[in-house]
Amino acid sequence: MEPRDENREGLGGMANPGRYGIERVAYWLMRLSGLGLLAYFIGHIYETSSILRGEAGWDELLELTSTPELHIMLVIVIGMCVFHTVNGIRVMLGHGGVGVGRPTRPDYPYPPASQNARHKIAIYSAIVLAAIAMVYGSTVLFGV
Amino acid sequence: MRESHIMKIHYGTALAAVGLVAVHILMRMADGYAESLEFANVVANYQFLPYAGLLEIMLILLSVHGFNGLRVILLELRQGPSYEKAVSYGCVAAMIGLIAYGTRTIVMVNVGMI
Repeated sequence: MEPRDENREGLGGMANPGRYGIERVAYWLMRLSGLGLLAYFIGHIYETSSILRGEAGWDELLELTSTPELHIMLVIVIGMCVFHTVNGIRVMLGHGGVGVGRPTRPDYPYPPASQNARHKIAIYSAIVLAAIAMVYGSTVLFGV
Repeated sequence: MRESHIMKIHYGTALAAVGLVAVHILMRMADGYAESLEFANVVANYQFLPYAGLLEIMLILLSVHGFNGLRVILLELRQGPSYEKAVSYGCVAAMIGLIAYGTRTIVMVNVGMI
């Protein structure tokens, strides 16, 4: 291994949500939900193109996608979508300086001002809202 | 293009897409989920020009946001001049491909080529 690569953790390092608290979990979930949503989006564009095969092709696709397994996948997509949106707005506000606190003298143990209670609450809110949306999505899709 | 400009585009496409996706989902909920997915209903949606325009804008916004997001994730994993160039051009090519494929569906159904 090249010396410059010795400390590079790569995919394992990025995917490890166990360190650095809830902010790291949010970072990890943001990327995971982003990749999941992109995969769903590509699949959605492909599946809707089946309308070009006429009514028979469309009905065939609907039958194929109306299984409980695919409804569960849709519920997960709803959760990913809500988390990605709410956490994305939090990140945008943070980049704009909203909710990151006032600049202060750096004193030991140097707690990062940006990782404060407001942002923690926003992350937990994103998770709770995603869970609520998933429950609502389940009631619509499964007709409970 | 500067990364700061790319991130502004990333955030702009995200905010615009949130509003449009909300309209797209509400269209499905308004008629009832199952009824809204009936063939005649979906074709009518595509042939209603403002809605077809909304679908096209949404397709572009989400493709730009999605593939730029993928590019950011891939660049976080590894860096290097040739790698960065390959990832950036690859993501742009995939984005253009997806937009072209989605646009083909929207245009063909809109003009009645089904």
